[in-house]
Amino acid sequence: MDLSLSSDQRTILDALDAMLRPWESAPIHDAPLFASDDALEAALAEAGFLQVTADPDLGTVTAALVIERLARLPYAVEAAASALIGPLLGDDPAGPICLVDTRQWRRPVRYLRENARVVVLEDAGVSAFTASAGQFRAEPKALFAYPVASLHELPDALEPLPIDPAQLRARWQVGLAAECAGLLAGALASTAAHVSDRQQFGRPLATFQAIRHRLAEAHVRINGAYWLAMSAAAGCDPGQAALAALHAAETARMCTYDFHQFLGAMGMTLEHPLHLWTYRLKLLAGELGGAAGHARSAADALWGPAEG
Amino acid sequence: MNFEWTEEQNAFRQRLRDFIARNVPEDWERFAEHGPGSPALTEFAREFCGTLAEDDLLTPHWPVEIGGLGLDPWHQTILAEEMWSAGEPRGGQYMNVNWIGPTLMKYGSEEHKARYLPGITSGQALWCQGFSEPGSGSDLASLRTRAEPVGESYRINGQKVWTSYAGLAETCFLLCRTGEDRKRGISILLVPMDTPGITVREIPSIIGRGDIHEVFFDDVEVPLSARLGEEGQAWEIIAYSLTNERLGIPRYALARAALERAVSILSERGDFADDAVRIAAAQVASLCEAARLANYALIDRRAKGETVGAEASSARFATIMAERRVAEFVAEQLPEALAGTHPFLKMHHQRGIVAGIAAGAAEIQLNIVASDVLQLPREPR
Ligand SMILES: Cc1cc2nc3c(=O)[nH]c(=O)nc-3n(C[C@H](O)[C@H](O)[C@H](O)COP(=O)(O)OP(=O)(O)OC[C@H]3O[C@@H](n4cnc5c(N)ncnc54)[C@H](O)[C@@H]3O)c2cc1C
Repeated sequence: MDLSLSSDQRTILDALDAMLRPWESAPIHDAPLFASDDALEAALAEAGFLQVTADPDLGTVTAALVIERLARLPYAVEAAASALIGPLLGDDPAGPICLVDTRQWRRPVRYLRENARVVVLEDAGVSAFTASAGQFRAEPKALFAYPVASLHELPDALEPLPIDPAQLRARWQVGLAAECAGLLAGALASTAAHVSDRQQFGRPLATFQAIRHRLAEAHVRINGAYWLAMSAAAGCDPGQAALAALHAAETARMCTYDFHQFLGAMGMTLEHPLHLWTYRLKLLAGELGGAAGHARSAADALWGPAEG
Repeated sequence: MNFEWTEEQNAFRQRLRDFIARNVPEDWERFAEHGPGSPALTEFAREFCGTLAEDDLLTPHWPVEIGGLGLDPWHQTILAEEMWSAGEPRGGQYMNVNWIGPTLMKYGSEEHKARYLPGITSGQALWCQGFSEPGSGSDLASLRTRAEPVGESYRINGQKVWTSYAGLAETCFLLCRTGEDRKRGISILLVPMDTPGITVREIPSIIGRGDIHEVFFDDVEVPLSARLGEEGQAWEIIAYSLTNERLGIPRYALARAALERAVSILSERGDFADDAVRIAAAQVASLCEAARLANYALIDRRAKGETVGAEASSARFATIMAERRVAEFVAEQLPEALAGTHPFLKMHHQRGIVAGIAAGAAEIQLNIVASDVLQLPREPR
């Protein structure tokens, strides 16, 4: 048990922080609801931060640390699938990697665009296809802070991949957990700053206990989400991964409501960037069946499948 | 970052499990139903802790000079996890090894150490903690029990309440007012419970017989040398003690053990196929894991010699959430356990419901997190 960053991990996160400085503050925008920047994507690809999993000295925990750190940014950038699932694919896709669960293929898919490599999860097996323009519809007006697109239907011609579906699900869940932990940390920091600053009744909103306690509880949950994500990343064990994703999804549901509430009207307008974190959480919180779906996988992994 | 135990740590855990298997009686689970401060458990704990001490397993995390093995905080955690998961066969003595002993080592006079440490390290002593008063619970600094210097003695008058173990304890770690300043007017006295003028009355409680008491002090006299630290130093000393107390109780481990027990009972009788029950159980497990890891993050820092401050309250609140959910899960899915068919689960419930109150209420922990972790502006007073 050694829960501090290794010196390699410290070096990588420091370098990442230095690289991310231009994207730390939220951009002023109206539509679409998300912030993305090709320059950020290019810088990330060039610096190799998403290739850490392949290095045996770094591995999946370092990948989860990078994913968590990136999610704190107001900008959305595809990292989780590339860093955690990319290494399982065997080739080096040019575009982003997208994840589709056949049970929920109608859900908007993050980063889906032409030439994206789409990995498809079914209980029976894992397959993939490379997206072409006729297969999906971009959704620029979606209320999510990711670039998303919807599949017209699941393509018939899928290339089977030699990947264990349980392992794909676990890595997807680790990615979700790490990304949610970072998004939640970003959203909490942004909300805490606002309520410390904004005065009503002659004092900062943050001095009212109804608000302080809910933010403190959010902190406790988010801290748990971080550590669960890291511990799940360490072995990509299906049980731990499902618990991590479960805790993250429940925390996302509880916190996004409160955080917007504490911003009042400002939380509903684009004057404040809170939605750049929370409206990513809202999409992530439902993937793979959401909290209940993760809970089912956790129960199967921890206590064996339901009998009877 | 590495989440694996070392081989040596695994072996240490196994040694503890073997020890517990050898030294708790067959009917232990029924036994553990008695409150932790009950006569039955206190008597059993003397024998159990005595044997633990002989096997060097009572205070292995203490410095070598005073009877420990100098093992790191991870070993203390493994030790506490195994004891708590087994229903705490050390009874009230867990307090001795977690914080009373370490506090005496840090702040005690040579006389205190010589008088009190041997009883603790041999597993025979029982202490009680005289902090709360009828008018002073969360607002501990408002306490009014007074100690007046009279010649070479302090004369104590006042009342304590909800005092665990007071019925059988030999010594009280007592907070009294020696000055007017809210915090700097409080001192600690180590008071033998057989001193004339002390009256103890039991208060029946949900958590079991023999545990909670009120303690009255009427012209109780102890020598000035019974004072721990300087006059007015109590607040500083108990800040140190309480961090040890908060991290020393791995309630998440007992909570998880209770959850696993409940799931296995439900499975055995075919009641664990229902999706709703399975989902609820997984939700509870995720809170137990979150609490365990939040605590581990702090233990790791302590093991590296860092001081852990307000984050202890955050880990503590995570533990409270886990405890509550386990207790609710059992009450909902296995209510017959609370009627007595599964004593281990009943025992968990009785101890679990305390998590958000004793040693600082849940809301107090949240206040600390808000001010000192999130750095929000403070509440007006
Ligand atoms: C099983 C058990 C064993 C105990 N053992 C001991 C012992 O051995 N020795 C000892 O000295 N004491 C002991 N106590 C007492 C314990 O320390 C107190 O119960 C605790 O400090 C809370 O004080 P109180 O009960 O007076 O609650 P109060 O202070 O009356 O508070 C009641 C509730 O009000 C809320 N509240 C209080 N303050 C605030 C605030 N500032 N902001 C928001 N909400 C607030 C909280 O929800 C709190 O639970 C024990 C308690 C229990 C349950």
